[in-house]
Amino acid sequence: MKNARWALLLVLVLGLFAAACGDDDEEPTGGGAEPAAEVEEFPADTTMGRIQEAGEIKIGVKYDVPPFGFKNPQNNEIEGFDVDFGKAVADKLGVEPNYVEAISDNRIPFLADGTVDLVLSTMTINAERAQEIEFSEPYYIAQGRILVPQDSDITGVDSLGGTKVCTALGSTYEATLKEQAPEADLRLVDTYSECLELVQNGAVDAVSTDDVILTGMIIQDDTLKLTEGEPLSTEPYGGGIKKGDTEFKEFVDGVLEEYKSGGGWTEAYEKWVGQYTGEEQEPPTMTLEEAIEATS
Amino acid sequence: MGDVISVLTDNFDEFLAGFWVTVRLVVFAFAIAMVVGTLVAALRITPNKWLQRLGGVYVETFRNVPLLVLLFISFAGLRRAGVDIGPWTAGIASLGLYTAAYVAEALRSGVFSVSKGQIEAALSLGYTYGQALRRVVFPQAFRTVISPLGSLIIAMIKNSAIIGVSLLALDDLLKTARVVQSRTFETNETFFWAAAGYLLLTVSATFAIRSLEKRYAIHR
Repeated sequence: MKNARWALLLVLVLGLFAAACGDDDEEPTGGGAEPAAEVEEFPADTTMGRIQEAGEIKIGVKYDVPPFGFKNPQNNEIEGFDVDFGKAVADKLGVEPNYVEAISDNRIPFLADGTVDLVLSTMTINAERAQEIEFSEPYYIAQGRILVPQDSDITGVDSLGGTKVCTALGSTYEATLKEQAPEADLRLVDTYSECLELVQNGAVDAVSTDDVILTGMIIQDDTLKLTEGEPLSTEPYGGGIKKGDTEFKEFVDGVLEEYKSGGGWTEAYEKWVGQYTGEEQEPPTMTLEEAIEATS
Repeated sequence: MGDVISVLTDNFDEFLAGFWVTVRLVVFAFAIAMVVGTLVAALRITPNKWLQRLGGVYVETFRNVPLLVLLFISFAGLRRAGVDIGPWTAGIASLGLYTAAYVAEALRSGVFSVSKGQIEAALSLGYTYGQALRRVVFPQAFRTVISPLGSLIIAMIKNSAIIGVSLLALDDLLKTARVVQSRTFETNETFFWAAAGYLLLTVSATFAIRSLEKRYAIHR
């Protein structure tokens, strides 16, 4: 009996110890930022000045969309293209980036209530959203593409007739595919991971959605590839900023301009997209007005 | 009310196609469930201990694995293992084999409702064991299990909706309703018609069972 009690105590102590260690792993992400050489000081009444005072910028990113914003299972760090751009914004202010998970449903309310200062979460610019928030200039142009196995005969949207194509139920691609490939047999599922399973086990011939999501699938499985040819649709991504805060929007646009001209954009593109697709891409030149035009 | 009607009339072809998919799923699955269920029930009441165990393993396996998991194993799992199984085969087989376990249990309880003395009497009259089952036990057992089998059919019709939300991506009645809903945003109206479709099937099943019960009722 006495032994049992000691064993129990030992288990409890070990458990607490393990829990304490576990907490250490949960330290705020994005450490190791070295302060930029010259940091401009902003007046305290601007958003930039307020962020500098706080010493950190809260950025809403996706946690589950490789390669734009995702939790790396190996080190639990938040990584991706959106995350790198967020880091560039934080560096420009000389503060630490603090990444907050923002899913499609809550990212716009997060801006309104101040949970985050900036949203970088694969958000397509459109007129509807532009009523609710300020958008930065487009920082990435995603495109509707088609994913197939390496040995597939499908070369593009024109050769989808008579094949099984997977996309998410209720996504814009359901309508896009019905219009552009009316002969295709659409298989509608709830999540893109189900589409990945179906194309991997051969139950469908192709998957269609944003190239960003498809690239994430190629990262997980390099026996898949994107078809060449014209994209099905254009999805310009913009950073989200609180409605009316044009000063901060202009600041982010300035960082983006430097990010594009200074090679940061190209580096991030190669790191997160280019090396998996084998494609090269110039930084986007589309303006916010054009983006709103193109998606409305 | 106008909306409710127009959701059906505007999308009637789609709803009908989805309803037809569900009908085919249910009919084929029911056939499998009855055949396999009867075989398994027969195994479970043989005098041979090993055959009894075999039947027991079947029942416990298929009764204790959720249908959704069976669907994943029979489709994604088998395909990964190199078996070129289609969504129809996987869906019908999973629903049928799953329901067969319950059918086997219902039949077994029906068989036990026939008194042991009758089997002994049949055997002592020179019937083989199979003959005794076929001619004496099963006809009586079937009568007592019509009602529980009816409940199983109704449960199976409703369980077929799980196929529509699984990654088999078959366009059954529920799936069709979800597709129509995502296009029209008429949530209540769309699912009202999905419910009506399932009701049509379950009510038909109920009437069929009632008439069977009347016909084969045991007059005691």
